[in-house]
Amino acid sequence: MDTTRREWLRAVGGLGVVGVAGCSGTGGSGGAAEGTDRTDSETDESTSSAGRPPTADQSLYLGHDVETISDNIVSGGVPKDGIPAIDDPTFGPPDEAPLDPGDPVFGVVRDGEAKAYPQRILVFHEIVNDTVAGDPVAVTYCPLTGTAQGFERGPVEFGVSGRLVNSNLTMYDRGTDSWWPQVLATAVRGQMQGATLQEFRVVWTTWEAWRAEHPDTVVLTEDTGFQRRYGTDPYGSYNPKRGYYASDRTLFSPLESDGRADPKRVVVGTRTSEGALTFDKETVLAERVLTGDIDGTQYVAVADDVLSTAYVYANPDAVTVKAVDDGYRVDGETHAPDALPLDRTLAFDGMWFAWAGFYPGVDYVR
Amino acid sequence: MSADVAAGSQSTVTHVERLVRQTAVAVRGAFSRRDGRVTFAATSVSYLVVYLAGLRHLGLGPWGFEVSVVADPLARATRLVSPFQWEPVALVAAGPVELLVSPLNVALGAILATLVGVNLAVSVVAYRGPKACKIGPGAGAAAGLPGLLSGFACCGPTILLVVGLQASATVLTVFQWLVPFAGLALVGTLLWVGTKVDPDA
Repeated sequence: MDTTRREWLRAVGGLGVVGVAGCSGTGGSGGAAEGTDRTDSETDESTSSAGRPPTADQSLYLGHDVETISDNIVSGGVPKDGIPAIDDPTFGPPDEAPLDPGDPVFGVVRDGEAKAYPQRILVFHEIVNDTVAGDPVAVTYCPLTGTAQGFERGPVEFGVSGRLVNSNLTMYDRGTDSWWPQVLATAVRGQMQGATLQEFRVVWTTWEAWRAEHPDTVVLTEDTGFQRRYGTDPYGSYNPKRGYYASDRTLFSPLESDGRADPKRVVVGTRTSEGALTFDKETVLAERVLTGDIDGTQYVAVADDVLSTAYVYANPDAVTVKAVDDGYRVDGETHAPDALPLDRTLAFDGMWFAWAGFYPGVDYVR
Repeated sequence: MSADVAAGSQSTVTHVERLVRQTAVAVRGAFSRRDGRVTFAATSVSYLVVYLAGLRHLGLGPWGFEVSVVADPLARATRLVSPFQWEPVALVAAGPVELLVSPLNVALGAILATLVGVNLAVSVVAYRGPKACKIGPGAGAAAGLPGLLSGFACCGPTILLVVGLQASATVLTVFQWLVPFAGLALVGTLLWVGTKVDPDA
């Protein structure tokens, strides 16, 4: 690491010898250009009313009924907002970010605006209420399930309820105080029970890869408005992997146990209104193309070699997707992994036990 | 009947008063000796350091010198982030050492550290004194253990993985009560130690 975080903060105008963290109260957009890399299927627009987050037109499949999920919500040992969301995020240039090349970051691109949210910061906050390309969004991360997901938040913010289900972050919205387990993206308690959030893709990758792919990215700074010893992950480390992330034990009992893989094995999962499907991440990165199905419809996962991630597409006609040197060949043409001429479904990384717990019996392609 | 109850209450009060007096004598006696003062200082400082390290408020970080304070520190200082843990309001970096300053946690840690220090000082002096009582010097220190454990309870839950426990409502409840338990245990052991000390020795 060439630059300390203090030097970085000074560089972005955050702190001097005696500074005030988070005192600006200014909004957090990095101020870059706007555009979108979203697919329509990932961010269906629907109506939003004041004080409520916008919801999707179609509900997502749940492996348990809402009441079962609700009944299994447990205290995480902290009060509501005991883990404080970042409500006024600030962003800095990439050159002096205090990140090692292999440090995990969560990347978002909307309308050409690229932002990176370092895991080392989000592990202390779990939710960033941000505005990207003019759109109010929440970028969320649950350390215990290893899931990073983005949600449209409309006029409301999300906070950390201090509760968990299946070890997963249970968010609450500050408009209706409904509870939303992150992975499910569905309210299981409160006025909005049964509603589904609109989601967008958050890419879990390394700082080195994200920066190479998006040299104009801005990065969330440690000027979060809170004092934390960022860089000292209370659960362990991803670079190198150790502690909770490397252990085969979970902190809380999963909703269901499934021995087909180690609990912390990383899978790329997707869920639609009909069902859920998981792909072993290491396998898809090695094989580059994997297929599975949900309710008789084929889904294809393709690897993004640069970002070390995968995208999942519905492939109802079972067209051939062939990995070639510079992308993927579909119907005689070559496409980038995030731009196949198929309907992309939202997919994200997560620990196997989390997917298996929320979606009992889920297909596991490896 | 009521006369008996009144007499019983008076007897309890008298007993407690005598216990407190004896403990005070023992504490004064311990502090009148150099080994007592050294034991108190070393134990208290060590306890506070370990307590703050357990909270992950104290540790090593990137080299630098800095004091940064949050906006509105007074309001932040009383914001509870978990049972008996409050929001840090400042980060102090001195060389490789980083300290998150949560005033209420520093105060709580200092109270527990003082109690542990006094316990151990009295125990050591009693143990080494001419009329040595059968007090192990670890009695007071052992009472402080729950206070230390509580520091690891939140936000550093990997200790549960280390000890092989899975977090459950029971475990989390136990952790919530570690600090008050530590405080009571420390006061209890101090009074008990006081009873073992001969004020005339």
